[in-house]
Amino acid sequence: MDNRKYNIYFHTHTVSGIIICVLLYVMFFAGSFAFFKDDLAAWQKNSSLVANRPTTQRNFNELLDSLGRHHTLRGRNMEFFLNKNGASAYVSMLGSNDSLVAKEAKALALAKAKAQPAGEKGKRGRGRGRGGNDDAAYFSYDFTHKKELDYERGYDMGEFLYRLHFLAPLNAIRLPIPLGAPFGYLLAGVVSFIFLFALLTGLLLHWDKMVSNFFTFRPWAKWKTVWTDLHTALGVIQFPFQFLFAVTGIVLIVNSVLLAPFTKFAYKGDDAQLQSDLYHTDATTYAYTYTPLPTAFDLNRLLAQVEGKWAHSQVTRVFIRNFQDANMHVIVLAAPAADASFSGMGKLVYRVRDQQILHETAPTAPSSYVDKVRAVLYHLHFGDFGGRPLRVMYFVLGLMGCVVIISGILIWLVARDKNSTPARERVFNFWTANIFLGICLSMLPVTAFTMIVLLFLKAPGQSDIYHWYFYSWLALGGYFIARRNIALTNRQTLLLSAILCFLLPVLDGVVRHNWFWNTFAAGQFDLLFIDLLFLSLSALSALALVRVSQRKGITDPPKLAVASGR
Amino acid sequence: MPANKKYLTTSPWLRFSKIMAGAVGGYAVMLSLHLLLTTVFPRENVLATAFFTGYILWAFLLLWAFVAKNVWKVWLTYISLALLFAVPYFLMQPV
Repeated sequence: MDNRKYNIYFHTHTVSGIIICVLLYVMFFAGSFAFFKDDLAAWQKNSSLVANRPTTQRNFNELLDSLGRHHTLRGRNMEFFLNKNGASAYVSMLGSNDSLVAKEAKALALAKAKAQPAGEKGKRGRGRGRGGNDDAAYFSYDFTHKKELDYERGYDMGEFLYRLHFLAPLNAIRLPIPLGAPFGYLLAGVVSFIFLFALLTGLLLHWDKMVSNFFTFRPWAKWKTVWTDLHTALGVIQFPFQFLFAVTGIVLIVNSVLLAPFTKFAYKGDDAQLQSDLYHTDATTYAYTYTPLPTAFDLNRLLAQVEGKWAHSQVTRVFIRNFQDANMHVIVLAAPAADASFSGMGKLVYRVRDQQILHETAPTAPSSYVDKVRAVLYHLHFGDFGGRPLRVMYFVLGLMGCVVIISGILIWLVARDKNSTPARERVFNFWTANIFLGICLSMLPVTAFTMIVLLFLKAPGQSDIYHWYFYSWLALGGYFIARRNIALTNRQTLLLSAILCFLLPVLDGVVRHNWFWNTFAAGQFDLLFIDLLFLSLSALSALALVRVSQRKGITDPPKLAVASGR
Repeated sequence: MPANKKYLTTSPWLRFSKIMAGAVGGYAVMLSLHLLLTTVFPRENVLATAFFTGYILWAFLLLWAFVAKNVWKVWLTYISLALLFAVPYFLMQPV
């Protein structure tokens, strides 16, 4: 490779990397924990999904009955989105196709809105009876405890870290000009694309020496060499994993970059057709007949039949059209288990009146090319095709990504800490690295701390998690930035992580009697897993801390001229 | 050591031009190429393929804008490629 190209790759890699490093670290860190989203949720709610699963009955009839107590259901379209964990669903109840019912509902909703103080209207969020001009409802339903949960109160640490990993909390920032996507998602998409660019330049940069550098690790050399070796070796090992996440991440968060022009040109603006091509959405409308359904309808029985027919698959979506009308239809969609068929989508259209199946595709039937691409995309990004061992592997690779990012920041700083660099630039470089590392390294202790706090709060919701997590992050990050000592930031975050990650399972035992042996005996393996996960993180932090202290004697950490200055 | 400045662009305008050529021009080339492919292959298959090829191609086109010796050559290449792909696509559309 000629010198010119090498230096261009080098520079573009450095600049793109340093621009995104903090946000990318947040995305990798939170995203790694998000692989255990359900386990974190179960841990926080102290209600094991694993232990409850065998006894949880998904009683849809009861759910419909309870909805019917507050709403006239006749003629409505309803949609159930079933969660993978099998214990809960998002329920969306749309307006009625019966003009009489719709009119009544509208009048009722209007009267309700009038009775309410004007200020409260906007705050209702995603709860029941959202302030529109009909009484459509969107909520989450827990089959185990048979209760509705509105979004704010159903919020948990798993959801929080999952949403943090695509920067959803930043959606609160409103853009002065609309760009087609909320700010947080847009930013996450831009970061993912720059990440893809940094990966390519990084790979090309090391292309000539890939093999020799891969086997180079000099742990006893000076720090800069250690970081460089770490960055290169881990970066190369991880390249396929990170590349996969960069590409699938872009597709999952800002695919409108591609979809919008495709809708406009290749689909001539027919968005419904594109959605149906990609996601099997069904825009078919079934005529409303204003004649009541002559027979009784049992949704549980229908779903049990479908599940019996389609082994090795899971019902994911259930759509009801024209509820209780003579022309009532039910559409059931199911995803195959990854080991039965990697891709595919089962679909069944059922006419209730004469119990006729109008259309049936089995989940394990040969699937289309689009289905295959989508399956690769989703399975690879969510790591949901190999059970817990695979997710643990993904988690470890994800945290290794964090190490690559941190070592990258350190190389960037140390490479510029020379006498030939102007003093002003060196001060700037030091502060940049100081701030970046203060933010990044305090994430692990803050996560453990917030989860410990949640043990002591009664029914914590979204705002509690936001407050405890972001304020403690601000405080700890601010403290480390003010100390202006990167080595100290490293040591103290390791110490805090070791202590807090150890306290988490211990306090879980003290406060809730969820000692390791108790959760093990009760078969609450998801709760046990989170306790063990944090225990291992504590041990790792302690080990790293010991190693760092031992090394102090061998070679002193780099003395940064500006660090000790004003 | 940081990259040797000798090989890097020093003019901020030239750098901006490179970023724009790579980002906007690269996007135009990527999109028009995939649109042209829809005239041969089923559109939903091209779209699904573009989920992977589109973004990767775009990233490479962005990189080439930095590597090329002359940014005007990049602009020229990207504009002509985009036209080369887009013109037959729009000509083949039924009116």
